[in-house]
Amino acid sequence: MREMLIILFSAILVDNFVLSRFLGICPFLGVSKNVKTAMGMSMAVIIVMVIASALTWPVQAYLLSPLNLGYLQTGVFIVIIAALVQIIETFLKKAIPSLYKALGIYLPLITTNCAVLGVTILNVDQNYTFFESVFNAAGAGLGFMLALFLFSGVRSKVDRADIPKFMKGLPITLVSAGLVSISFFGFKGLIEKLFS
Amino acid sequence: MLLVALFAISSITIPILIASSIALFLGIIIVIVTKIFAVPVDERLEGIKAILPGANCGACGFSGCEGYAQSMADGDPNTGKCPVGGTEVAEELSLFLGVATPVFIPKVAHVHCQGTVDHTNKRFDYRGTLGCAAAHSLFSGPNSCSYGCLGFGDCEVACPYGAIYMANGIAHVDSDKCTACGLCVITCPKKLIEVIPKHLNAYTVKCKNKWPGAQTRKNCSVGCIGCQKCVKACEFGAITMDGPLAVINQSKCTQCGACELVCPTHAIANGLMLGLDKQGTPSHTGIVSISQ
Repeated sequence: MREMLIILFSAILVDNFVLSRFLGICPFLGVSKNVKTAMGMSMAVIIVMVIASALTWPVQAYLLSPLNLGYLQTGVFIVIIAALVQIIETFLKKAIPSLYKALGIYLPLITTNCAVLGVTILNVDQNYTFFESVFNAAGAGLGFMLALFLFSGVRSKVDRADIPKFMKGLPITLVSAGLVSISFFGFKGLIEKLFS
Repeated sequence: MLLVALFAISSITIPILIASSIALFLGIIIVIVTKIFAVPVDERLEGIKAILPGANCGACGFSGCEGYAQSMADGDPNTGKCPVGGTEVAEELSLFLGVATPVFIPKVAHVHCQGTVDHTNKRFDYRGTLGCAAAHSLFSGPNSCSYGCLGFGDCEVACPYGAIYMANGIAHVDSDKCTACGLCVITCPKKLIEVIPKHLNAYTVKCKNKWPGAQTRKNCSVGCIGCQKCVKACEFGAITMDGPLAVINQSKCTQCGACELVCPTHAIANGLMLGLDKQGTPSHTGIVSISQ
């Protein structure tokens, strides 16, 4: 259990997918304009990440690894994630329309999200077991949520500030994203101290 | 030789087989899932969406054009909810859905403040970020009336139709350009803008302050002081008091003008704004222009 918690918290804080590994920057900049859309996107990412990890792990462990077909990994994982998103969307539309509405366009956007592919490939690279993979995915999703939540707060402040004309829009957003990212360096070494 | 050839073939065919069988397997699952969880889609939905202007402003009360289209496809016969499209879209929708055209009451945004620089004072010299939201967060802004228009033009920026302009330190709505989408209503930190029925001669209490009369008089010469003269003057019961502030119910108002005559501070005025005339001053459609 201790290992699971270490994996979970290091995925959230130390190796934050957005702010430390720089994966999923596109939604990070695109849907962080206000807290509501940021939460919708994050919920969709968490769900897809966890299920994608649970599905790709057995494919890697029982199919690709024994046959020495590691090089097929990227292609096969992308196909699995895309199909998964499609299935989840159809399922939600029928079964839980309110959740489908809340997630809205964010669900199909995840199909090509590198953070989801990133978490499945990292699970393999780190030689995680099945449950470790799922915990890692949950942590990565929660970390994504935390980053988007914090950054949407930063952006609503930036929107009100008096910014020089040449910095308006994307430039100031990227600079503030960099500063938020630097702040996350403060968590380095946190996990060793916390669980030692 | 044969062995080498066989090995070469298998090292290509096995990955191809595996990759394509995974893809095929997932494809079949998607087809099955789509069949099981099929949601009947009303084919009229696309047609309705094509007619709606697609502004996604939310003035109809739904989250966007999609939501309103869905509601109409589900049987809502009211096709007159879209203020952006107006009568034209309402008629087209009614024709498409085969329902009666509703009486379309055009609406317009209206700024409930006439505290121009001539009528109000400055409490302090504000040198912060230029914007209503920022100025409002600092002691409700520099104006002597903390309920009045700040004049930094957040609504002007928010308006996608260029219908709002600033003159003499307050916002004006050009009733010809306004589509009543309501974006300015959300933007205004003072909540001064309301969407009202578009009678060119509409009477409105152009004030939103909640101070007692004496304090209002001190800070603005055209504020509503809550004297209730208009309430007594109105024969139709259209005016009620919201605390110390008179409010005109537009659906009961007959535009008789009795309230304007008795208002001691001229806080009640008639007419909507048309835009800037050639001298750069706001032009007014009503009988009496803003009193000086």
